Amino acid sequence: MSTKAFAVFRKELVDTLRDGRSVFAIFIFPFLLYPAMLFFSSWIQSKNMEAAKELQVRVGVVGSEALPFVVDSLAAIQGVTPVPMTAVPSDIEGSGVNAVLVIPPGLSTALARGDSAKVELLYKDAENKSSAAERRVRPFLDRLDLMLTLDWARAQGAHAEAAPAFTVGSRDTSSKTEVGRYIAALVIPYILIFMITAGAMHTAVDATTGEKERSTLETLLATSATRAELVLGKVMAVLAAALTGAITGITGLWLTFSVIAKAFPAMESRTLDIAIGPDKLVMIFLTLIPVAVFLSATLVAIGCFARSMREGQTYATYVYMAAVFLGLGSFGEQTPPLKNFMIPILNTALLQREILTGTVQAAHATAAIGVTVGAAIIMLVMAVRLFSNEGVLFRN
Amino acid sequence: MIEVQNLVKTFHDRKKGEIPAVKGVSFTCPSGKVFGLLGRNGAGKTTTLRMLATILQPTSGTARVNGHDIHQRPAEVRRSIGYLSGDTKLYDRLTGRDLLQYFGALAGMHGDRIAKRIQELRETFQLDELLDKRVGKMSTGMKQRLSLARVLFHEPQVLILDEPTAGLDTVAARRLIDLIGDMGRRGLTVIFSTHIMTEAERICDEIAIIDRGEILAQGTVDSLCHRNGSGTGKSLEDVFIHAVEEVSVEH
Repeated sequence: MSTKAFAVFRKELVDTLRDGRSVFAIFIFPFLLYPAMLFFSSWIQSKNMEAAKELQVRVGVVGSEALPFVVDSLAAIQGVTPVPMTAVPSDIEGSGVNAVLVIPPGLSTALARGDSAKVELLYKDAENKSSAAERRVRPFLDRLDLMLTLDWARAQGAHAEAAPAFTVGSRDTSSKTEVGRYIAALVIPYILIFMITAGAMHTAVDATTGEKERSTLETLLATSATRAELVLGKVMAVLAAALTGAITGITGLWLTFSVIAKAFPAMESRTLDIAIGPDKLVMIFLTLIPVAVFLSATLVAIGCFARSMREGQTYATYVYMAAVFLGLGSFGEQTPPLKNFMIPILNTALLQREILTGTVQAAHATAAIGVTVGAAIIMLVMAVRLFSNEGVLFRN
Repeated sequence: MIEVQNLVKTFHDRKKGEIPAVKGVSFTCPSGKVFGLLGRNGAGKTTTLRMLATILQPTSGTARVNGHDIHQRPAEVRRSIGYLSGDTKLYDRLTGRDLLQYFGALAGMHGDRIAKRIQELRETFQLDELLDKRVGKMSTGMKQRLSLARVLFHEPQVLILDEPTAGLDTVAARRLIDLIGDMGRRGLTVIFSTHIMTEAERICDEIAIIDRGEILAQGTVDSLCHRNGSGTGKSLEDVFIHAVEEVSVEH
């Protein structure tokens, strides 16, 4: 390394180490970030496990006369209620059960003859309760498989290791559309949160701290527009960028998985049918507006406070990470408590998940929208106050 | 007219405590006159002009700009002024037309009025080559013309110009100073700050010398020279240095 290059390196290093924000980002933030990530993911996991334990599922049993002990065995599993049925329903969820165990008639005879037979649990992986039912019943199916294998081996005078002519298993009956809807409900709220934050970040910092850094602020303050008008205009611009980011993000997702992936045979397995009705799209967009205003006003307030673009970008990155963390919370339990709808950003992601799965609860919607609108108003007022405070605007 | 009464501005610094920037400044700038605020860097010129433009709030004291009190009617003050600072930049990504339309809208002007005003200023500021060009691609001279057009766009009665020639070359600075003088002759009230004596001598009807936040002397160039006992043949620069050094010795 030449002396001059080393001199530049040394200067930049000294410059960085004397910048409190850089020191925080390099030396302190990682020690906060990773424990926070660990704590957060563990929290979500434990919540999911708690919720799964408490979940009650109903499993339909068709052909129980062939294996009469099955109903009692299922009833012995915690949280499972067996429901004897005469035929396989065309719509599993619609028939009041979450999964259906199908035992073919004449199973014992078929086994004695060595004919092939199939005992199957029909469920939908795209439905939360149905997949939970499959998880609960799976150990029993394994035991049943072993038991029938031994019976078959005894009847055939064969070794149990020999391949049996029957199968005991489960089959996911989710359609492509149902899988698409499930993944959409899980992923879209999260994508929307981080896309609006990412879309708003740059515009907010540029429209506020950028005015300071470019020395255009004084001219703006000397116009007859009030500070509130100036802030409102800036928030609206940031909001437009945020919403555009969200719309392009979702369009990109849809294009990738529903159009581009279908066009290439090698990607066929990754295709998704993301079909969301116009009513749900409108509701998603409407619920997005308050949180986008909240995030835009927050970023504008931060931009007013920051002294330089560098400082503004640093603060905005923290907001972005906080939003992403809160958005991740929407991957948690399927029926979250009302208190989760009191936390801005997380509440919108949860509400959007409910919209996409068609499980909206009035109390959840009211809390989520009310809290977010309130938070947005508070941040707007704060942004105007910061923009009206000469000690903040001209601090150095 | 601008009437400044005992204007005080103190900044608070966490480490240094209270920092007085302007200490009870008073002066009057009559209507249709060009008033020069002369001072060294850090004398309090910018802070004084920022208070007059209502960008900063005075700690105490007040001022009336075009008949409006800066405390009670700041919106009216801002409506009647055109403010330009030598440090002020323009928006690089806007064209000249975008910029004029933006500031016209902020001044409460509407589409037709904005279009008409662009036509009115087209010749004076040679706007034809600026209107569709992005500011970032303009030369310093072009930006200066556009800045002046922007300042005058909403037809203010008072111009507050803070070191408007800062960063300009001699020729551009002279052109700008002459233009400011011309505005004074057209009946606009102009207050401008500078530390360049020749600029003040050239166009100012009246001058105030400011140092360490205080007005040291005020009057016409001639009266200042005579009042300080400099006699004939002494320049404004001599008067200025004499006044400033006197205060430095006192401090």
